[in-house]
Amino acid sequence: MQIIVQIGVFFLICLAGDFLSALLPLPIPGSILAMLLLFLCLMLRVIRPEHIDQKSDFLLGNMAFFFIPAGVGILEQLPLLLENLGPLAVICVVTTVLTFAASSGTVRLVLWLQNRKGGGRSE
Amino acid sequence: MSEIFDQITSSPMFGVALCIVTFAAGVALNKKLRSPIVNPLLIAIGLTIAVLEVFRIPLENFDKGGDVVSMFLGPATAALALSIYRQLELLKKNFLPIFLGCLAGCVTSMGSVYLLCRLFGLDDSLTASLLPKSVTTPIAMELSEQAGGVVPITVAMVVVTGILGAVAAPLLIRVFHVKNPIAAGVGLGAASHAVGTSKAIELGEVQGAMSGISLSISGILTVLLSLFLT
Repeated sequence: MQIIVQIGVFFLICLAGDFLSALLPLPIPGSILAMLLLFLCLMLRVIRPEHIDQKSDFLLGNMAFFFIPAGVGILEQLPLLLENLGPLAVICVVTTVLTFAASSGTVRLVLWLQNRKGGGRSE
Repeated sequence: MSEIFDQITSSPMFGVALCIVTFAAGVALNKKLRSPIVNPLLIAIGLTIAVLEVFRIPLENFDKGGDVVSMFLGPATAALALSIYRQLELLKKNFLPIFLGCLAGCVTSMGSVYLLCRLFGLDDSLTASLLPKSVTTPIAMELSEQAGGVVPITVAMVVVTGILGAVAAPLLIRVFHVKNPIAAGVGLGAASHAVGTSKAIELGEVQGAMSGISLSISGILTVLLSLFLT
């Protein structure tokens, strides 16, 4: 019974997210709004982690499973994929490396600046 | 005979069962070979496509069950809220470096994808499919769809990006001299979402937690950045 209630909580939050998404003039996906709504509910303690943890861990732990049908859809796009295989592969590799370098570099820079600022006092 | 076959494969249970069987096979293979290249999702997609092709089962029959599985993508995205909530203390303590790191990652990812797409002369719909490639699949799918992208291409690129990040993680950390565990975690989460996070968890607790926060924040930031592009 508990797991049914947890599924219910998730579906209701997602429906609320879709509803908000339709109301808002901005193209924000309903599932993102649902995530923000759920986060807000957790912060305001309307929902406690133990109300949703079983279903959440089921969803988070098996996340990849839910993408299978979307991936299988590539079947219809195979010609498009093969036609652009070279550029797609290059883009994939180059941008992933750049993204890692930019974000880890920024974290290090900010931590270094913070340490230097705070370091004068504490050390 | 073929009528019965058609009837059975167009039951929603067929698509769901096929997903479960192929995914179980993918997970088993991944456990046995212990390599991130053997990604369960990639194997499941490949096996499912192989079954559909070999037995000449139309995609629309499979999709009856496939749609049921896809229905859980929304709740799966919403569930990320709990994982951010669980890391709240860590996030509060390092908010500025994490936030700015994710922002730099998102801007770099979308900017470099856009520039390279232009360079290769890819059309708008392909560009829209690739722009969200570094964020977690449910978010990337939605963004791609809204911007007029080809969703299956997005899914393929997102999965490949994740695997690439996870496989290359030790090398990337060495090449860019990222000794700090927070920087390594945020970088992996921003560049290669949940698959990268699974690798970050292997590297250490701090890396794993940071990567989890980073993939959620990068997802939200990418949604916000996309608003400015459309």
